[in-house]
Amino acid sequence: MTSVGDVRDPRLEQLVEGIVRLAAGELDARMEPSERRDDIDAVITGVNLLAEELEYVYSNFEQQVADRTAMLRQTQAELEQMAKTDSLTGLANRTLLGERIQEAIRDSTEHGKAPAVLVLDLDSFKAINDTLGHGAGDVVLVEVAKRLRCAVRSGDTVARLGGDEFALVITESTKDEILQIAQRVSEQLQDSVDVGAETVWAMSSIGVCIGESGQPAETLLRDADIAMYQAKAQGRNNVQLFRPDMLDAIRDRSRIVADLRNAVAGGELALHYQPVVELASGTVIGVEALLRWHHPVRGTVLPDSFIHIAEESGLIMEIGRWVLHEGIAQIQRWHETAADLTDFVLHINLSAAELLRSDLLEDVRITLERHQVAPRRLVLEITETLLMSRGTTEEHVLSGLRDMGVEVQIDDFGTGYSSISYLRSLPADTAKVDRTLIQDIVTDPQQQKFVAAVLQLISAAGLKAIVEGIENSEQSAQLQAMGCLYGQGYFYGRPLPPAEVLDRIRGLDPRH
Amino acid sequence: MVRRRAQGEDVVVDPLASNDAKMTLELTSGGLLHLRWFHGVDILVDDARAAMAEVNDLCQQERYPMLVDMATVDSVSREARAVWSIPCSASRIALLGKSPVDRVLANFFLGVHVPPCPTRFFTSRTEAMDWLSAGA
Repeated sequence: MTSVGDVRDPRLEQLVEGIVRLAAGELDARMEPSERRDDIDAVITGVNLLAEELEYVYSNFEQQVADRTAMLRQTQAELEQMAKTDSLTGLANRTLLGERIQEAIRDSTEHGKAPAVLVLDLDSFKAINDTLGHGAGDVVLVEVAKRLRCAVRSGDTVARLGGDEFALVITESTKDEILQIAQRVSEQLQDSVDVGAETVWAMSSIGVCIGESGQPAETLLRDADIAMYQAKAQGRNNVQLFRPDMLDAIRDRSRIVADLRNAVAGGELALHYQPVVELASGTVIGVEALLRWHHPVRGTVLPDSFIHIAEESGLIMEIGRWVLHEGIAQIQRWHETAADLTDFVLHINLSAAELLRSDLLEDVRITLERHQVAPRRLVLEITETLLMSRGTTEEHVLSGLRDMGVEVQIDDFGTGYSSISYLRSLPADTAKVDRTLIQDIVTDPQQQKFVAAVLQLISAAGLKAIVEGIENSEQSAQLQAMGCLYGQGYFYGRPLPPAEVLDRIRGLDPRH
Repeated sequence: MVRRRAQGEDVVVDPLASNDAKMTLELTSGGLLHLRWFHGVDILVDDARAAMAEVNDLCQQERYPMLVDMATVDSVSREARAVWSIPCSASRIALLGKSPVDRVLANFFLGVHVPPCPTRFFTSRTEAMDWLSAGA
C-alpha cells in the first residue's frame, strides 16, 4: 500500500512529516495534495482540514480565554473601585484612605516630608437628618464632598470615613501649607447649603495631624481623630492641630471608662444624701441622693469628674439603674431602723438616656414594691433642658411616673431658658431653682427682685419651689422673706453617708 | 456583472466578470442553478461571498435547486465554508465531485457546518440531478 510498484510514494513521507509537525504543535503546517486526487490526496486533504479546524478551535479557545481574562480583570478593577469608593459621594472610602496614607508614608521616605491627615466631622449633621430627613442629609454630604475637593490640591486624597466624617491626606507639604489647606477647608464649609427650599449649614470640626518620619498610618489617622474631638470640645467649627497631651487626655478618659466599668460590680460606688429642708423650721423633708465613686487609687471621685464620661460611654444606664435600686433599698433600711420616719422623700437624678430606658417604669414600680416603699416617697429630678426637649417617649415615661405616684421635679430651673408659656404644661410637680440664681441674692437688690419673680412664676405655674445652693443664713432669710418654703445647701447640711442621715433628720446633727 | 438573456433561455453569469474567473453560474430554463468552480481553484472567503451574492442576484428572490460542480477544486478555506452556512436563494444543493479528495472536502463542509438547506454530496451527475429534481 505504501508504494506504487516497488517505488515508495513520496506523498506518504510528506504526510508522515506533516503529522509529526502538527503533533509538535505547528498547527499551521499543511501538506500539498497531488493532481492525482486519489485516496492518499484525500487523506492529505483531510489532515489539512483537520489541522485547520484544530488551529481554529485552538486560536478561538485562546481568544476566548484572553477575552474572559480581560473581562475578569475589568470586573475585578470595577469591584476594587467600588470597594474603595464611597457610593454616595464618589470619594475614597476608609480602605482607600488607608492605602493612600501608606503610599504617602512610603513616598515620604524619599522626599523627606511626611504626609498630614485631616479628619473632619460635621457639627450639626444629625439635626439636618432628624429635621429634614436622610435625603436632605445626603444632599449635604454630596455638597460637602464637592467643597472638600475644591479645597485641596489634585494630588491630595479626600475620603468619606462614614456618616458625616471625612478625611484628607495632604502630601509633600510644609506645616504652614497644611494649616492653610485646613483653613481653606474650614472656609469652604462656612457657606450655607441649599436643600430644596431649606438652608442649612455644614460647618465642621477639623483635627489635623502632621506625620513624623516613621509614624504608622494608624496613628496618623487616630491622632487626627483625637484633634478633631478636641476641636469639638473647643466649641466646634474650628481647626485643632494634634498635640501629644491630647492623647494623654484621651488615655486618661479611656482609663476612667475602664475603671468605671468595674466600679458598679466592684462595689466602688456609694450614695451620699444631702438634706432638703423646710426653710422656716429646718425640718428635713427629704434627701437628695448624690453619687460618690470610691476609686481604689484616686480616692473619692465626685460625679462632675465622671458623669459626662459615663453618659458618653453608655455606662450611665448601668450606673443609673444601680443608683435607683440602691437609693430605694436605703429607704427600706432606714425604715427598718426608724419606722417612725415615714414622711421624708428621696430625690434621685435621672439622666436623659435613662428617661429613654424602655424598662424604666417597670423597674421603678418593681423596685418600690420589692422594698415596700410608697411611690410618693420618690422624687425623680430631670433637668429643665431635657424636659423642654422631650419627645413622645419621654412624655409617656413622665406621665407613667406621675400616674404611679412618683413626683417629677425640674432640676437646675433657670438654666434651660424655659419658655414662660410652656412652663404651665411641663409634666412636673416641683422645680429646683438653680444655685447660680441665688449666689448674689444678699448683696444684689436686682437679683433679689429677679429671684422673687422666678419664685412667683413657679408658684403661678402650680409648682412647688425648692432652692438649692443655700450656703448661709442671710440667703435663707432672704428666700423665706420672698415666700420660698423649701431649700437645700451646705447651710442645711452637706451630703452625708447613709449612716448619719437619720440623726440629721431627727435634728441630732451636731452641726445644726 | 450579470448578463441575462430573453425569457425561456438560459441565463449565464459571464465568467470573466465574476470574481477573477474562479467560477461560472448559470440558471437554466428548467429552473436549475449550476455553479461550476474552475479547475484547481482555492476557494477563499471572498470567492464564497461573491458566489453567494451572484446566486442571490440571479435568483431575484426566487428559490432554485443548485448543482455545485466542485470536482477539480483544490481547497476551500474554513471561512469560505462558513459563508455557505448562510441561507441563500438555493432551495437544495447537490455537491458534485469525482475523487476521494472531493468527498473529503464536501463532507468537511457538511460535517462541520450546518447547511442552510438540504445539501448532499454526489459523485454521479445523474443521481445528483435526480435528487435535485425530486426536491423541486
